[in-house]
Amino acid sequence: MLKKYLYVIKTQIIRSMAYEFNVYGNIIMQTIIMITSAYFWRALYKGQTMVGDVDVDSMLTYVIMSSILSVLFITNVERRIQNSVEKGTVATDLMKPINVFGVYFAEDIGNIIALVFQNILPIFIIGSLMIKLPTMANPKDIPLFIISVIESFLINWLVAALFGMIAFTAVNIDALIQVKKHLLRLLSGSIIPIWFFPVGVQKVLEGLPFVYIYQLPLSIYIGKGSSVEYLSQMRIQFIWLVVLSVVFFFVQNKVIRKVMVQGG
Amino acid sequence: MIDVENLCKDYVLKSKEPGLKGAMKGLVKPNHKIIHAVKDLSFHIDTGEIVGFIGPNGAGKSTTIKMMSGILTPTQGQVLIDGRNISKHRKEVVKDIGVVFGQRSQLNWDLRLGESFELLKHIYQINQKEYDKILDELDQILGIKELLDKPVRQMSLGQRVKGDLVASMIHSPKVLFLDEPTIGLDVSAKYALRKFIKEINKVRHTTVILTTHDLGDIQELCERLIVINNGVLMEDGNLSEIVDRIAPYKTLVVEYYDEVAPEHTRCKLIAQDGNVAKYRFMKNDVTAAEIIADLSKEKTIKDVSIEETGIDDIIKIVYGA
Repeated sequence: MLKKYLYVIKTQIIRSMAYEFNVYGNIIMQTIIMITSAYFWRALYKGQTMVGDVDVDSMLTYVIMSSILSVLFITNVERRIQNSVEKGTVATDLMKPINVFGVYFAEDIGNIIALVFQNILPIFIIGSLMIKLPTMANPKDIPLFIISVIESFLINWLVAALFGMIAFTAVNIDALIQVKKHLLRLLSGSIIPIWFFPVGVQKVLEGLPFVYIYQLPLSIYIGKGSSVEYLSQMRIQFIWLVVLSVVFFFVQNKVIRKVMVQGG
Repeated sequence: MIDVENLCKDYVLKSKEPGLKGAMKGLVKPNHKIIHAVKDLSFHIDTGEIVGFIGPNGAGKSTTIKMMSGILTPTQGQVLIDGRNISKHRKEVVKDIGVVFGQRSQLNWDLRLGESFELLKHIYQINQKEYDKILDELDQILGIKELLDKPVRQMSLGQRVKGDLVASMIHSPKVLFLDEPTIGLDVSAKYALRKFIKEINKVRHTTVILTTHDLGDIQELCERLIVINNGVLMEDGNLSEIVDRIAPYKTLVVEYYDEVAPEHTRCKLIAQDGNVAKYRFMKNDVTAAEIIADLSKEKTIKDVSIEETGIDDIIKIVYGA
């Protein structure tokens, strides 16, 4: 059963390798974001050693790791749904003895595996050479970091997939995809950690799933907070993962039924 | 093999009145209109049949074939494949079904053709031995192996259709649904497709159901014809039987040496153009030879020919055009 999906992943890696220009484009974009953010933080920290319990070195690590995570969190599922709705291939996809959304998930995994070498490694090297080596603050927290990244990845994918399902009613969601992408970067603390935001805003954002995508694993990485705090936040992260999964399966069934009634 | 029982499909269509006023009205009180695309279809198809669905655009052919292949859920009625209701047992039944929809390819644009097949092999969990066997078999009909290394996006339409046919047969389905497979194909690709359908039907006893606008497909392939118009079953039966029933006549064309054409009591003079006269006679009533013999007693005949009623004429009659 799982073998099918593994093969989808393998096929997707082959496909991803075919688009070299995309790969270079993202490296350039991430480099620009990293370097400008580094200058921004250095300027902001001028004359101060600590801002919000974080020193400038940790903040620079945050920037580099945020760029690396953003590659890990690239999703294609929204576009994939839009394309298959537009071209009407959902109907034939549904004819195969495999879950369509499982296929989309496997494809995204395949993409990311291809990107480890094509994107993550180059960005890591560029960041290390041009900014600093992004070392982890407390290596004993590595298991927590890895678990939280996996959960982040799943939450991010579920948000993207739920978003993509809008295409079943709206058909074209190009503009919406852009809005979601930038809103997510802002609300998740991927560019500016939300501890720089006013307390009221922080409270609201902590109630939403987005900070648990970027800020939580990054905080663990740079050592902002204690293991106890991490665990309590990871509990909220896990609750979000469960909630979004439930919503996802519910909406997925509804959407498939809708396609079957209205035709692809 | 396939039982279609009282199949109905309604679509809800939001109809808007023209102009700004209509748009506003549509927002407040949407005007829903129900379209009955398919009305109460019932028929039975046996294993190994090749059945052609014909009907004008919008007649409900594609809707019917989509319901039969489990893509659409019927509003009423049911489709049984080997006794299993396709809407309820989709997951099992889809393994016995192959589909080719003329305008939508199921091949992967970014992959080489062979990679697309490998992916399907894994999705359908076919073992290597079986996979090699079916690929060899299909290669003999379509010559697909020379295309395996070619990226799908570089293939011509004809090559892509061949690829799609192989993709639809790779899991050896019992039933193959083809929705306008010959659309846009050139003569040789059409020929290959027809040969493919005949071969898989003969060798593997695959039941084939196809919709088409190409009457050549029907004449070449289908022993059985189902004619649908406005979502209603108009005709169902053997091709020659339908022709005999709807148009039980032939046309005799006689060329004389002058412009006076004699009448005949047992056939009807339907047209006359100069020296050429056309007589319509009932097939089971009189033979062409008798009429020619009678006519030649009255006038000297230069030339004769007989026009069979073709499928084109049948379609014109059934469609009411």
